[in-house]
Amino acid sequence: MNDGWNIVVCVKQVPDADDVTIDPDTGTLNRSGAPAVLNRPDHNAVESALALRESVGGTVTAITMGPPPAKAVLQTAVGVGADGGVLLTDRAFGGSDTWPTSLALARAAAELDADVVICGEESTDSSTGQVPPGIAAHNGWSQLTYVESLDPQPEDGVLVGKRDVEGGYERVAAELPVVVAMEFGANRPRPAGLHRKIFAETEFEPVEWSASDLGIEDRVGLANSPTKVGGMDTATPVERERIRVESVDELYEYIAEVR
Amino acid sequence: MTIETDDYRDVWVFVEQHDGTAAPVSWELLAKGRELADETDESLVALVMGDDVSDLAEEAVARGADRALLADDAVFEPYRADPYGEQFRALVEARKPSIVLIGGTHTGRDFAGRVAVPAHAGLTADCTELAVDDEGLLLASRPTFGGDAMATIKCPAHRPQMATVRAGVFDTSEPTESDVERAAAVEEVEVVVAEEDALSTVLERVVSDVVDITDADVVVAGGAGCEGEVGPIVELAEVLGGEVAASRAAVDEGWIEPARQVGQTGKTVRPHLYIAAGISGAVQHLEGMNDSDVVVAVNTDPNAAIFEHADYGIVGDLHEVLPKLTELVREQQEVAA
Repeated sequence: MNDGWNIVVCVKQVPDADDVTIDPDTGTLNRSGAPAVLNRPDHNAVESALALRESVGGTVTAITMGPPPAKAVLQTAVGVGADGGVLLTDRAFGGSDTWPTSLALARAAAELDADVVICGEESTDSSTGQVPPGIAAHNGWSQLTYVESLDPQPEDGVLVGKRDVEGGYERVAAELPVVVAMEFGANRPRPAGLHRKIFAETEFEPVEWSASDLGIEDRVGLANSPTKVGGMDTATPVERERIRVESVDELYEYIAEVR
Repeated sequence: MTIETDDYRDVWVFVEQHDGTAAPVSWELLAKGRELADETDESLVALVMGDDVSDLAEEAVARGADRALLADDAVFEPYRADPYGEQFRALVEARKPSIVLIGGTHTGRDFAGRVAVPAHAGLTADCTELAVDDEGLLLASRPTFGGDAMATIKCPAHRPQMATVRAGVFDTSEPTESDVERAAAVEEVEVVVAEEDALSTVLERVVSDVVDITDADVVVAGGAGCEGEVGPIVELAEVLGGEVAASRAAVDEGWIEPARQVGQTGKTVRPHLYIAAGISGAVQHLEGMNDSDVVVAVNTDPNAAIFEHADYGIVGDLHEVLPKLTELVREQQEVAA
């Protein structure tokens, strides 16, 4: 452990949540107008990865799965300080739900000989939060989810995480390799350095791996996804009275009435 | 990989507990699981894991489970993802349930994947509606895109059909009268995990009595408009006999504790009266309060979205409005007394 840890950070490109709209007539999602951005919770994951590298030494490698334009989120990670990036891209991945997605990321993390894999809490587009435990489960590694802060103890080969739990917190020491899901907002992500940002956008080229490079070409994609979307409905809006009152006395009258 | 889906039957509910106390969502899922099992004409099975928790297994039967499986061992206290996941996975493989319901708590969402991945099961996260179709297939619905849409997820070719389910969306089950057969319906199962195989160690666990805002009749919630001063929220909640809650903004600022957060990443509440004070009304928040009977909004911004989702709204600073309201409630209570 003298030469530090291999730290892998998983990032995802998502449509900017603020710009996704629902077509009121068809009930379908209109994502075309939404610019693609780095999933917001992943900024906390990248920051944790960089801070961990500062603490124990080693390297930070960003990985993402997606079509070629997803390279942009690797550039974002490299721009703030990741050492390199891997793009998992292949038509075979199309239609993957969390099971094959976490398999692909797990294989890539194993290929990178990861000691620590850091993810964001969940993605803003599908918000399952299942990929980090999925990566850990596929590889039989330990996991720390809902992590507020990390305390590496390289001399013991463990990573201690302070986890948010219902009603409080716990501190858990996890054996390496470990998969971490950082809580959204757990830290303040650093800005990109100008030179690094220019490098990321002009010179950096990610390593590209296909499903067959990972030996999982027949285990990913829609066909290997257990869950299927059976339908999409617009949420039924709740009808409210929308009465605007002018004074607290008037408001009190209404409250007294309903109590 | 194809599996014989017909080999899988029964509805399982995971009874989440910490220090011997069941999480409220466990009993909510048991009540919903009862409905689903009745519809598919299968058994409802409660799965209880912990250290010295046979009483919870018996309680699960009293609350409607046909049977309870009990994995009782010190390795299960406190909770850790790998022993829980491994034990649960072994039981799923051996007994082949068709539907498995787990609370959408940090604990449930932490380990559900450790069962679903090795089982190659379909897992739908954070559901708010559950039903079965004509063929007995689970229809797990969840809000998506900030609550603007509901996606219904099916798992046609894989088993079990697993779902984590948000706390507070279903009514809880109540225990029935003492039943002499209750203990007989509890089956203690073989514990297949050992401490020396565990990948993690809990060094410290600090929890206070967890408030359960999902049960409150009156909820007074504060948001960014609190500006660090939550006194008026607390006082109004007190005088109304309700609970204090918060939007994500107020939790992120550290003004109100996370257990009280309402919304997509927090809890779903269903009070009779919900007072949103200084909350702008982001869709993620609305999702957690939409089941309230009556919503009152207090906000300085007349164009805040919350007014569109409130029954009664007043434009004003909560630091002025709430104390006046508190005073009026107090006066009335004194008159009544």
